[in-house]
Amino acid sequence: MSGLGTQPALQRRELRDVLAAYLVGVADDELIIGHRHSEWTGFAPDIESDVALSSIAQEEIGHARLFYERACDLTGGDPDRLAFGRASGEFRNAVLTERPNGDWGYSIVRLVLYDRADQVRLDALAAGELRPLADLASTVRREEKYHLMYGEQWLRRLTSATEVSRGRMQQALDRAWPDAVGLFESVPGQEELRAAAIVAVGPREQRAQWRQVVVPMLESIGLTLPTENSGDRAGGRAGWHSDDLRTLLDEMTSVWRSDPQATW
Amino acid sequence: MPRLAELLGKSDADAARLFAVFRQDTKNDPHVHVGDVHAPDAEMALMLAKEQFTRRDPCVNLWVVPYSMIAATSYDEAALFEHITDKSYRFGGSYREQQRITRPKGRER
Repeated sequence: MSGLGTQPALQRRELRDVLAAYLVGVADDELIIGHRHSEWTGFAPDIESDVALSSIAQEEIGHARLFYERACDLTGGDPDRLAFGRASGEFRNAVLTERPNGDWGYSIVRLVLYDRADQVRLDALAAGELRPLADLASTVRREEKYHLMYGEQWLRRLTSATEVSRGRMQQALDRAWPDAVGLFESVPGQEELRAAAIVAVGPREQRAQWRQVVVPMLESIGLTLPTENSGDRAGGRAGWHSDDLRTLLDEMTSVWRSDPQATW
Repeated sequence: MPRLAELLGKSDADAARLFAVFRQDTKNDPHVHVGDVHAPDAEMALMLAKEQFTRRDPCVNLWVVPYSMIAATSYDEAALFEHITDKSYRFGGSYREQQRITRPKGRER
């Protein structure tokens, strides 16, 4: 219990519901990308990177649990049921996080785009006025720092190694970029969180902050940004997902579904 | 003094991509060789070493050193370290400070 449910600032039922929905979106992002990262366990290019990415996967899933718990503090419910007991259409993750890994290059590009966005998002929560959430965001942020170091090192190296590797990284970026806009999609009523100073920065501004870091970084390593708005995809936060999420959930939840009442 | 890479029969290129990792548990501890990582350079080696060697153990500082930079003695020369006469006078085991330093870790206080 984080005491979130008893915060005076959250007396209004509607605000609590919006915040809970927002936190579920954050947690879903972390859970789903964490699961995708974990699919590399045993298959990464070298054993060191395998161990490191597996750790990152564990950390993302750990963060998901923290955010599910906060959501349940507000609206009741069980974090495990949120993670394992929902159908694909009830998930609020950005579509970017559910895409299959494909090659290592795509996973690295996605990790970098995602973790930079996550950093901006955590900054906005950490600067908010709701102490328990701001503290949580600052704590989670400490672990995310390594994820970025890892992703950006790999990204720089693969982009500068050979013509072939550079070409594949460009393809990976071309695939990931249109989905990245969905990371900043709002849940309904999210502007109330900005008005209540719970999330200090709104989604449009967060996206601008993200671009300010990501665009020069990608260009400095010689990648070309795909043209804007050509097939920008969002909708994940409204429950629109690809079939890939259904496949992922089938696998991820199979043990839980075999006995939902079991305690672990 | 031969280079460790030669003793291990590694090529220069391999040795330059193999890094010895030294971990320091607290600021009062020495850096201890805890294992190796493969990496194209020191920056990546540090980054990978962080996850290989600090995900369970405490750490305040890491060093990585490419094997190509390590000079070493050979096991064939182990006689170099043998003592011919009794040198127990060097141990100083009855000094309390010496006992404190050599006490196994975890049994302090």
